[in-house]
Amino acid sequence: MVLKLYGLTTSTKTRSVAQICKEKEIPYELITVDLRAGEQKLPPHLAIQPFGQVPVIDDDGFILYESRAIGRYLATKYANQGTPNLIPTNPKELAFFEQAASIELSNFEPHAYGVCFEKVFKLRRGLQTDEAALAKHLETLNAKLDAYEVILSKQKYLAGDYVTLADLYHLPFGMMVEGLGYDVFQRRPNVARWWNDISNRPSWSAVKNGA
Amino acid sequence: MVLKIHGFPISICTKRVALICREKNIPYELVTVNMLEGAHKGEAHTKVQHFGQVPFIEDDGFVLYESRAISRYLTKKYASQGTQGLIPTEPKAEALFEQAASIELTNFDPIGNGIADENIFKGLRGEQPDTKRVSQLVALLEEKVKGYEAILSKQPYLAGDHITLADLFHLPFGYMFSQMGIDALEKQPSVARWWKEISERESWLAVKDGVA
Repeated sequence: MVLKLYGLTTSTKTRSVAQICKEKEIPYELITVDLRAGEQKLPPHLAIQPFGQVPVIDDDGFILYESRAIGRYLATKYANQGTPNLIPTNPKELAFFEQAASIELSNFEPHAYGVCFEKVFKLRRGLQTDEAALAKHLETLNAKLDAYEVILSKQKYLAGDYVTLADLYHLPFGMMVEGLGYDVFQRRPNVARWWNDISNRPSWSAVKNGA
Repeated sequence: MVLKIHGFPISICTKRVALICREKNIPYELVTVNMLEGAHKGEAHTKVQHFGQVPFIEDDGFVLYESRAISRYLTKKYASQGTQGLIPTEPKAEALFEQAASIELTNFDPIGNGIADENIFKGLRGEQPDTKRVSQLVALLEEKVKGYEAILSKQPYLAGDHITLADLFHLPFGYMFSQMGIDALEKQPSVARWWKEISERESWLAVKDGVA
């Protein structure tokens, strides 16, 4: 049975999972959860995702949520097809992957999301941008990317010399930040090199405008 | 050579690593990075940990940072000793562990960081806390706890029937909440049961008020 991906074509995290499916050559069927109508907060969806979020997968009856957990599960299950080593197996390389994955979630995501929240998501709900919060998120994001510049001056990708899930997880919110006109990647040479590399992967081109 | 943890005794993330060392019976030595004097932002530290954060470990010359990455590395390296099953190996159990670990990092940790910034770090920077923001974060935490309740009403731990790193990772910020009088984790019955049980683990009691 083909993998079912519950989400919305434009949702950042739905596109993240769709990208991993493309990297690993996994066919999937997108089943729309209408976020604009609040479907994700209604009981049928809450029964499979208790936080009222998307995406969720149904893999032959096995239900899983949290886009990064889904990415890890699929990369591991389909280790032998598509792009190899999205999660390394060698213990020290795996440790560096976990370090990079943690950097993405704790250093990048909160501030990239914060910028998008203030400039996009709040406005969609009829709320006003908090300019001070936006400025703080941008300042912190820039400081974090200064550290990325140091890391990426010594190695090609965040975990080492080949691409892993940790790099790819930056794409959805990173693209949104860039699209808002914030030049956070291009102004740093090593970050720009890395960003342009991962942004131009065919898997991302295939889903960046819709899962 | 004994594992070195470069950290600060009361740092949330240093406690997280020390907790896992205790669960896995791994001896360690704390090398103090004096955060009150800004040592974590100095060059000696940032040449290793480029974000100016603690902790990092030195394991016989192998250097790693990010407390959860360190915890995962140590758990796998010492798989056969101490508490078993902290990272499951069977594929579906492992996927459910990753789901739980992601829940902690995306739903719980940002709230902990926000409240810590308002109630602790702002004071250290000479700024005033934004009490309205704290209230909003507490309200958000209480919403998230309802999601946890739905999970924990059906199974004893976040990933299933056995305790995993995902449960333990909640302890440092969860304890901080209780010290601040934020009782969100005690308001739902299954969450309260889970919280009480993991809070009473010997490994946590040994480090909760400071890593030595």
